[in-house]
Amino acid sequence: MRLGFFGSIFFIKMLPAILIILLFSVVGVASFTALLLFQDLSNWYQVLSSRYIWRLLNFSLWQALLSSALSLLIAIPVTSALMHRRFKGRDFLLQLFSISLVVPTIVAILGIVLVYGRSGWVTGVTGVELPLYGLFGILLAHVFFNMPLVVRILIQAHSLIPAGQWRLSYQLGFSRWDLFRWVEWPYMRKALPGAFLLVFMLCFSSFAVVLTLGGGPKSSTLEVAIYQALRYEFDIAKASVLSLLQVFVCTLVAFLVYRFASAYRQDFSLKQLDSFPVKDSLKARCFDLGFLCLALLILLPPFIAILTPIFTPLFITTLWQENTWLALWVSIKIAFPSAALSLMIAMAFVVLARACMDRPNWSWLPNKLEYMGGMILILPSLVMATGLFLLLRNLGIAAFELAYWVVVWVNAIMALPFVLRVILPTFYQQEKRYRNLYQSLGVRGFARFRLEWPMVRQAVAQACAYALLLSLGDMSVIALFGSQGLTSLPLYLFQLIGSYRIEQGACIAVLLVLLCFVLFSLCTRVIGGKSNA
Amino acid sequence: MLNIDVSYQWFNKHGVDFKANYQAQLSSGLTTLLGASGEGKSTLLHLVGGFLQGTGCIRYQSQELMALAPDQRPVTTLFQSDNLFPQLSVWQNVGLGLATNLKLSPVQKKAVFWALERTQLTKMQDKKPEALSGGQAQRVAIARAIARAVVEQEEEKKSILLLDEPFSALDPSLRAQMLMLVAELTQQLALTTLIVSHLPDEAKMVGGSVLLIEQGGVALHDDVSILEQAENIPALTRYLNL
Repeated sequence: MRLGFFGSIFFIKMLPAILIILLFSVVGVASFTALLLFQDLSNWYQVLSSRYIWRLLNFSLWQALLSSALSLLIAIPVTSALMHRRFKGRDFLLQLFSISLVVPTIVAILGIVLVYGRSGWVTGVTGVELPLYGLFGILLAHVFFNMPLVVRILIQAHSLIPAGQWRLSYQLGFSRWDLFRWVEWPYMRKALPGAFLLVFMLCFSSFAVVLTLGGGPKSSTLEVAIYQALRYEFDIAKASVLSLLQVFVCTLVAFLVYRFASAYRQDFSLKQLDSFPVKDSLKARCFDLGFLCLALLILLPPFIAILTPIFTPLFITTLWQENTWLALWVSIKIAFPSAALSLMIAMAFVVLARACMDRPNWSWLPNKLEYMGGMILILPSLVMATGLFLLLRNLGIAAFELAYWVVVWVNAIMALPFVLRVILPTFYQQEKRYRNLYQSLGVRGFARFRLEWPMVRQAVAQACAYALLLSLGDMSVIALFGSQGLTSLPLYLFQLIGSYRIEQGACIAVLLVLLCFVLFSLCTRVIGGKSNA
Repeated sequence: MLNIDVSYQWFNKHGVDFKANYQAQLSSGLTTLLGASGEGKSTLLHLVGGFLQGTGCIRYQSQELMALAPDQRPVTTLFQSDNLFPQLSVWQNVGLGLATNLKLSPVQKKAVFWALERTQLTKMQDKKPEALSGGQAQRVAIARAIARAVVEQEEEKKSILLLDEPFSALDPSLRAQMLMLVAELTQQLALTTLIVSHLPDEAKMVGGSVLLIEQGGVALHDDVSILEQAENIPALTRYLNL
């Protein structure tokens, strides 16, 4: 008896995964449709004819362009210096780079305010008051967040240089500059369009930074305007037009850069070779030292600044306030379900993709699923939240009553690209290597899970940690849907910064960082296994 | 004349693992290094090239090479692979052997063009190595070596060319062509050329002398015709398994 696809055992076994992905897609498509349905030509005309919007768009693009260019320009020599020099403190510097990738946005912003703000360290030491609120502050924060990210990407590209090239450079007697020009630059250049795209998108849809450091309508971005339209003006038509504009620009940039980016190619080297020294010169040393110091100068002070209030009495008083513990509880209440949801959706992707890998008619699906996960990055969380808000409104549900679930859902979706990037390759590799073995032994279902778990637990732990940290640090959806009873630590911190209670804010920041750290180690220990902690 | 008297030690965690000690006097022309794998043929080449730092002395034309960095030695090494920068054109790859910033003097430019012509690469000078076949790619590396050699010749200096099985990935007829090219160029430029090989027939083909390496030392150094009477020489019967 032949059954159709929908009656096949394959379909029934995959049903849970298919249902989860269906739910994910339906909610996504429905929210986007809700955004589109709200459009009206007169809306567009009205919004597009206002000069305010053009100024907004102009500033959004301009600051994103400057931020990504600056991040790239600093990251290139820093990466080169990091890869060449072996010095005491190199590991520390690398650690600092990865910490600044995961530290909650609002915490870092606080650090920047403490260092560069009106009564900050710089003003205290030099007496010069820096114009932090405005373009300067936005650029500073964006470089703080994105320069380490670019360095990470470039280090990856740098490690693709075949070992044979170092030997060849040694034979030819390359100077530091020759080496950069002929060997490092051609390899790093390949990674630059991708890195630029990523940073540009992150800066273009940057929310918390612009909201706190923008300092007024003069330097505001689309993302902040969406927030203001929804939260203060309650102008849904304007918010939906702005959201679509935002998505349009992000998609355009993504398209352009993918179009002009050259594909990665791994040149292979036959043997692993020793490293060979490069001709050094005083100029090269000064150059490397200069850029490493610059990186340290950008990254280190804000971290130290937020840690200083531990020793003040205010820290203890803040700890004993009820609001603090309420915010902590809200943060945990959001982070755990949203991480679980994110992992669940990701696992549904994995299960479906793996099942399709050995079916000739479906083997295209795994790549498409991976792609779909990455597409989410184009959608800023505020836009997603706006769509969801409109969808719920169309369904006759008051979105603010469901605020908690909206926040959990959007946070889970926002973490999905990162979660997928961590777990997909590991699970794919397991499938490719051992599929035949498992099949020949008849190991299925839970038995297979038990055998695979030790191999994949580290990736799952990392994915879980990412998802937790991302929703713990979220400051955009919660800003839109937060309320008296729904104030997470980042939102509370934002409110404190807004009312210039910076010292008290620093205490909350320390608490938030501590929470991140505890949950992160919990993940790597409990899920990842003790040996990997 | 290349005088070699050099030792090199490998260490493992227990101490000295393996010790090599090479002594030889090589006149200009071709010398083929024979020996089973792991006996230390490449090690000798890496010592002369400057990629390993041994003790002792390596003297060429009464110049002491031991203290010099690889690029300062009158030596060009061709490795088994990774002789080219895939991101640079053929012309750039050759030119880098003369000036690392690619600002070439007229004499150097002439040398590059001559070398490309001599290796029949003139038409491909703007291509990237990935567009070349395996044999063409190794010819680019040869072009770089002879471009260096011809510039040194202008200054009345002589060069050493070291080949660490660079043609082993090529098919037999192409390999023979490349070896003949190397033999011709060696004669034309009066080079001292050392070729690592695992095929005694290749040594017979290119002529010159052979150097048999056994357990990190020179077991035999003689004219290539010695291979014809291998059964009388203990070291050769061991190596050829006669």
